[in-house]
Amino acid sequence: MRLSWISRIQIILALAFYAILWGLREVFPQYSQLLTLVIFYTALGQAFNIFLGLTGYVDFGYVAFMALGMYGGALAVKYVASTGLAPILALVLGPLQSVAMAVVVASAIGLIALRLRGAYFAIATVGVNEGLRHLIEGARIWGGAEGVIIPGDLRKLFGDEGFGYIATVYADTMLVVIASCAAIATWVLKNSRIGYGLAALREDEDAAKVMGVNTTKYKIIAFITSAAFGSLIGSAWALKVTTIYPPEAFNITYTIEAIIVAVIGGAGTLFGPLIGGVLYTLTKYYLGVALPGLQLLIFAPILVAVATTFPRGVVGSIRMIYSRRYILRELLR
Amino acid sequence: MDIGGLLFNITSGLILGSIYGISTIGLSIIFGIMRVVNVGHGAFIMLGAYAAFWLFTLYGLIPFISAVVSLAMGLAIGMMLFYIIMRRIIRGEELMSLIAMYGVGVFLEELANYLWHADYRGYSWYIGAIPYLGLRIQLTAISGAILSIATIVSLFVFLYRTGLGSSLRAVVQDPVGAYICGIDVQRIYALGAGLGIGLATLGGVLLTLYNPTGIYPYMGHPYTLKAFVIAVLGGLGSILGAFLGGLIFGVIESGATYIFSQLGSPSPGSLALFLGFVILILILLIRPEGLLRR
Repeated sequence: MRLSWISRIQIILALAFYAILWGLREVFPQYSQLLTLVIFYTALGQAFNIFLGLTGYVDFGYVAFMALGMYGGALAVKYVASTGLAPILALVLGPLQSVAMAVVVASAIGLIALRLRGAYFAIATVGVNEGLRHLIEGARIWGGAEGVIIPGDLRKLFGDEGFGYIATVYADTMLVVIASCAAIATWVLKNSRIGYGLAALREDEDAAKVMGVNTTKYKIIAFITSAAFGSLIGSAWALKVTTIYPPEAFNITYTIEAIIVAVIGGAGTLFGPLIGGVLYTLTKYYLGVALPGLQLLIFAPILVAVATTFPRGVVGSIRMIYSRRYILRELLR
Repeated sequence: MDIGGLLFNITSGLILGSIYGISTIGLSIIFGIMRVVNVGHGAFIMLGAYAAFWLFTLYGLIPFISAVVSLAMGLAIGMMLFYIIMRRIIRGEELMSLIAMYGVGVFLEELANYLWHADYRGYSWYIGAIPYLGLRIQLTAISGAILSIATIVSLFVFLYRTGLGSSLRAVVQDPVGAYICGIDVQRIYALGAGLGIGLATLGGVLLTLYNPTGIYPYMGHPYTLKAFVIAVLGGLGSILGAFLGGLIFGVIESGATYIFSQLGSPSPGSLALFLGFVILILILLIRPEGLLRR
C-alpha cells in the first residue's frame, strides 16, 4: 500500500473531525443530546458506507446487524449481572459478543444473498431482517416480544451514578471510537487492492469479473466489515436505550437513515458520512424543535428531491465541480 | 388437529390472498415496466383503506363504489408521481430509486397522520354471513375475493385484447423496440405507474372488505414486506405470478398461523411470517425468476 501525502492528510482530517466532535460534547454539555445524535448518525453512516458506498449494493436489512449488536451488548450485561462476575466484564463481553454474532450472521447472509444483484439483493436483505425479527418474536428467543430490559442490571453492576455515566459519556465515547475505526477501515480498504477491485465492481460487475477481480470475495469482505461495525454501534446504543424490543431494534427506519446519511454526504467517499451525519441530524433535530410532529412530513420531500436531482451528495458534487483540481479531487475521494 | 378449522383457515387465506394478489400486481407492474421497486407500496394500500373508510363513514358509500373511486384516484396519483418523480429515476441507480420511493411512502404516511391522526379506525358494514365448516364467513370478505377475481380478469382483457394493453406489454418486453415501433413509451410508463398505484389503492379498499378495522397511517408496512415476498414468489414483474403468489402466501400465512397456534405457540402470527420470509429467501436462491417463469 503506497500512500500519497494527500491520502495521509485525508485520514488525519477525518480523525480530527471525530476528535472535535467528542471534544465539543465535553465542552458544551448543554448540547450533549444533539451531539450524541450527531455522533450516532455519523457512526452509522460511516459503518454502512463501507458496504453501501464501496460496493453500490443496497443492503435494506442493515439494521439487523445493529439489532444483533444491541442484543449482544444487552445480553452480556444481563449475563454478568446474574452471575456476579466483575462488572467491567459486561462492557468487554458486550462488544465482543456483538461482533461475533454479526460476523457469523453476515458470513451466512453474505455467502448466499451476495449472489443476487440489484433489486433482488435489496429484497432478500429486507427478508432476512424481517425474518430474524419474526423468528425472535415467534420462537421467543431472547425474551421474544417482551424484549431485553437492562436498566436494573446496569444499576446493580455500576450503581446509580455509574449507570448514568455509562449511558452518556462512556457510550458516546465508544461511538466516537467506533466511528473513527470505521473511517480508518474505509480508508484502508479504499487504498488497497480490495478498494480498487470494488471500484471496478461498482462500475461494471461483469467486466470486473472478466478482468480477474475476485468480486465475490471483495463483496463479502466489505459486507462483513460493515456488519461488524454496525453491531458495535448497536452494542454501544444498547447502553443508551437500555430496553430492546424486536419491532424497534429491527426498525427499517435505521437502515433508511444510514442510507440517507451516506447518500446526502456522498456515498463511497470518506468524508461523505461525516457531512451527511451532521446535515441530517441538524435538519432532523431543528425541524423537530421548530415544527414538532411535522419533521418527517417536511423531510420526506427533501429526501425525494435529493435522490432525484442530487444523487452524488455534497462531497461527490464538490468533487465534480472541482474535478480539475487534483489535490481537492484526491482529498475528497 | 382439527381438519375443519384448518380448512376454514385455508379458505380465508385464499380470500385474503386474492386481495394480496391484486395489490401486489401493482408492485409488479411498476417493477416490470420501469425496474423501480416501489418501497412505498404499503402507503398506497393505506390510502385505499382510508378512502373506503371515509367514503363509507361520511357519505355512506359502500366499498364497491369506493373500489372504483380509489382505482381512479390511484391512477391519477400514479400518473402524477410518474411525471414528477419516477421519470427521473427510471434508468438511474437502484439506490436513488429506492430512496425516492421510500420518501414518497413516508410523505403519504405523514400526510395521513397529519390530516387524520394516528388513531386506529374501522367501519362496520354487515351484509350477512354464510355458515361454512361450522364457522361463518362474512359475505363482505367473499365479495372482496369476487372483486379481486373480476379485477384480474378485466386486467387480462385490457392487456391482451386492447391496443393500449398490447403497447404496455411491448414496453415491458423491450422499451427500445417498442419505441422504434412508434409507441409513445413515456405515455405507457405513465399509464403503467398509474395502473400500478391504482391497483395498490384498490387493494387497500378490498383489504377493508376482509378486515374493516385497523385502518391507520402506518398500516402499510407489513403489506409492503408481504408484497415483496409475493412478488418474488411469482417472479418480479409477472402479473399472473403476482396473483398466484398472493393466493399461495395467503394460504401459507393463514394455514401456518392456525397450525402454529394449534401446536401451542404463543405468537403463531410471527412464526407464520418467519416462514414466509424463509420461503422468500429460498425462492430467491433456487428460482430467482419466480415460480412461473421458464
